[in-house]
Amino acid sequence: MWEDLNLKQILEYAKDPYPSIRKWLKDKGKKAVGSTIADVPEEVIHAFDCLPVSLIGTDKPLKKAPSRLPDNGCSLARSNLELALSYEGDLFDGFVLPQVCDTTQHLSDIWRISFPNKYVESYLAPRQVDRPSARYWVKEEIERLIASMSSWSGKSINDTVLNDSIAIHNENKKLLQEIYEIKKKNPGTITNKQFFSMVKLAMQVDKAEFNKTLKNVKANLKPRKGKNYTDVILVGITCDPPEVLDLFDEIKLNIVGDSLVTGSRYLQGIVAQNGSPVEALAERHMKGGFFSPIHDNVYKHFEEVKALYKATSAKAIIYVHIEFCESQEYDLPDLKKMIRQEGIPMHVLDTEYQTVSLSHLRTRLQAFFESLKGGSL
Amino acid sequence: MSEKLNSKQLSKKITDEYMEDAFRAHENGKLIGYSTAISPVELFVAHDIVPIYPENHAVANLTAKKGAQLCSITENLGYTSHLCAYARSDLAYRESGITVTKGIPEPDLLLACNAQCFTLTKWFQVLARKGNLPMFVFDTPEHIMDKKAREEIVKYCVLQLKELIGFLEEVTKKKFDYDRLKEVMKYSAQSSILYKKFLDMAQYKPSPISIFDALIGMAIAVYRRGTPECVEYYQTLCDEIQAKVDQGIGVLPKDKEKYRLYWENLPVWFKFSDHAKLLGSYGGVILTSLYVHAWSFDFDLDKDPLVTLAENYVSVFSNSTIEDRVEMATELFKKYSMNAMIMFMNRSCKAVSFAVPTLKDILVKRMGIPALVFESDMGDQRFYAESQVRTRIEAYFETLDRLQADNPAA
Repeated sequence: MWEDLNLKQILEYAKDPYPSIRKWLKDKGKKAVGSTIADVPEEVIHAFDCLPVSLIGTDKPLKKAPSRLPDNGCSLARSNLELALSYEGDLFDGFVLPQVCDTTQHLSDIWRISFPNKYVESYLAPRQVDRPSARYWVKEEIERLIASMSSWSGKSINDTVLNDSIAIHNENKKLLQEIYEIKKKNPGTITNKQFFSMVKLAMQVDKAEFNKTLKNVKANLKPRKGKNYTDVILVGITCDPPEVLDLFDEIKLNIVGDSLVTGSRYLQGIVAQNGSPVEALAERHMKGGFFSPIHDNVYKHFEEVKALYKATSAKAIIYVHIEFCESQEYDLPDLKKMIRQEGIPMHVLDTEYQTVSLSHLRTRLQAFFESLKGGSL
Repeated sequence: MSEKLNSKQLSKKITDEYMEDAFRAHENGKLIGYSTAISPVELFVAHDIVPIYPENHAVANLTAKKGAQLCSITENLGYTSHLCAYARSDLAYRESGITVTKGIPEPDLLLACNAQCFTLTKWFQVLARKGNLPMFVFDTPEHIMDKKAREEIVKYCVLQLKELIGFLEEVTKKKFDYDRLKEVMKYSAQSSILYKKFLDMAQYKPSPISIFDALIGMAIAVYRRGTPECVEYYQTLCDEIQAKVDQGIGVLPKDKEKYRLYWENLPVWFKFSDHAKLLGSYGGVILTSLYVHAWSFDFDLDKDPLVTLAENYVSVFSNSTIEDRVEMATELFKKYSMNAMIMFMNRSCKAVSFAVPTLKDILVKRMGIPALVFESDMGDQRFYAESQVRTRIEAYFETLDRLQADNPAA
């Protein structure tokens, strides 16, 4: 299904992966378990012979979700709930949902009550990582997830099975990293949209199959520098709707670094394979690359963004703000101040899932980069 | 403490002395620790750290209708208008000095417990950055229903409480006294029992207290628990309310008390007395909410203090599953013989409010009572549509009247 896709197909599948997922599940006789971003260890779900699917919203209209989550709820959370309630719920056998912020505080309750016949488990990652108790707790939660999946599926897994799953996921991330490196240095090779669609699709489909596609894509890429590209850093959690990436491509921005959950934070999640897999998964959580607004402070975020900006010699930072994401909103004023004091040009894009018109974003983005070229901001 | 003071006078005296102590903390060699309202502040008290609750200060300003003015100041600093009004009004106070009280002293350290919400953590992080201050996050995973998971969650929380003690020792350069903690726990347990007894007096008919009395009465439980004066206050309060019960004095006279209401969520602070009057005119008294019960802890003094602290703080209503919240509310409905409910969708409080639609559906079905749902903000008047809320309240009582006329036995 996903082992021999070309770039055009990757875009199509990333835009709406669900028909292919539905068919694949039927063909393979497997179960799908969805999870919202960001911390659920998908390797565990995969080890139970289920398809882990990251839920990253829908562009279809909201119908039922607003009666459960009001309009001041994070648009990604509302979009995901709608996806399951109205459109694709039938293809999932279960969900593992992390509790990270206020919108997600009771999200797994809402899903559990909304889907009484499906498996719904909470994943309670620590919302602090600076103290020894956090490591203890991550490990406990991973072990609880394994026990819970085992009880639900009637299967058990051992370290070998989990390590095999980790190997497939690691390979996936490594291939994406390699393609990203080519793209960063040769922006004329593939577009931002194509690359980030690859990452998104990787988070939703069978990795073993998709790794074959990634190998082919990588082997067939013909690096082209292209002309008049402006290198930028993309900061945020997700960058949606995907048409925002079209805007970047339109004005020839080359994303040379990012801190997205649907980008580098995912790619950096390669897990060590020289010991206990549960310990290694816990270690990944503790040492996860890039800032998380859930358990890190803004200083860390600032230092990371600054380091990325300098290391890549980018020209500006684009911060993608998801409307009604409180975790971002408490940090943003101070982060903006720190970045601007450093003399780094920064543009904040306010996005919302279900957005249909991007004209205001286009105008603001164009104005920002025109002023950047003019040398004054 | 003078035995002659009534509860109101006692509350004022305790509060004045507490704030005096807070403003003189440094002179007396004490540190100021900011704390979220639901957090294991017993550790602060036992370690002679003066706890200050920015939420309480925010409530004073929001009740005095300063919300819109203060929130606008914070929005001009770049924060969005849909953040919690407590946080927005507090950040504005720090920027402008505007307050209806004498203000609150600056912190030396901060403790954020996320059993209430994650907003408090983010808000306290802003304050910690401002003053470059040490901050401790007491992370309380949702108290999910699985028994084994709960045991593990408590273990994780106990580990963190030990880390918190280490953090306090490091900041204060002073050894933590576990015997003192046991003493503090004793006061906390006693005052919690009395506080709950006070709230539960709403089960009498007519009810001698409304939720508005509870909201005023809960203040001392929030900021003075763990002290003997807190115990004295609630004993005095209980005695006073019991005297009302003995005389048959209710918020409304017995023959006028038609509707005994449950309230979901925090109150609309700036509409506090207006709501009481309006509902009273329809024969309605709001008796209780899970929110006011959040401080009626059930500490087990036979257990390790850290275990009973962890068990109590992790299981507050805001950190419980919706199913458990339904059970908690159902128990209140039965105990207090309530026959109506107002479900407030509070824009400021996402953690509590996002559960409300689901909670409402289940409760309406289970109790067989219609619910009034309205959306507004607990502190920012700009999100309060006076005529709309009034119309909905009127329509709700008309519905209740009609239902009662159709079924007088209900």
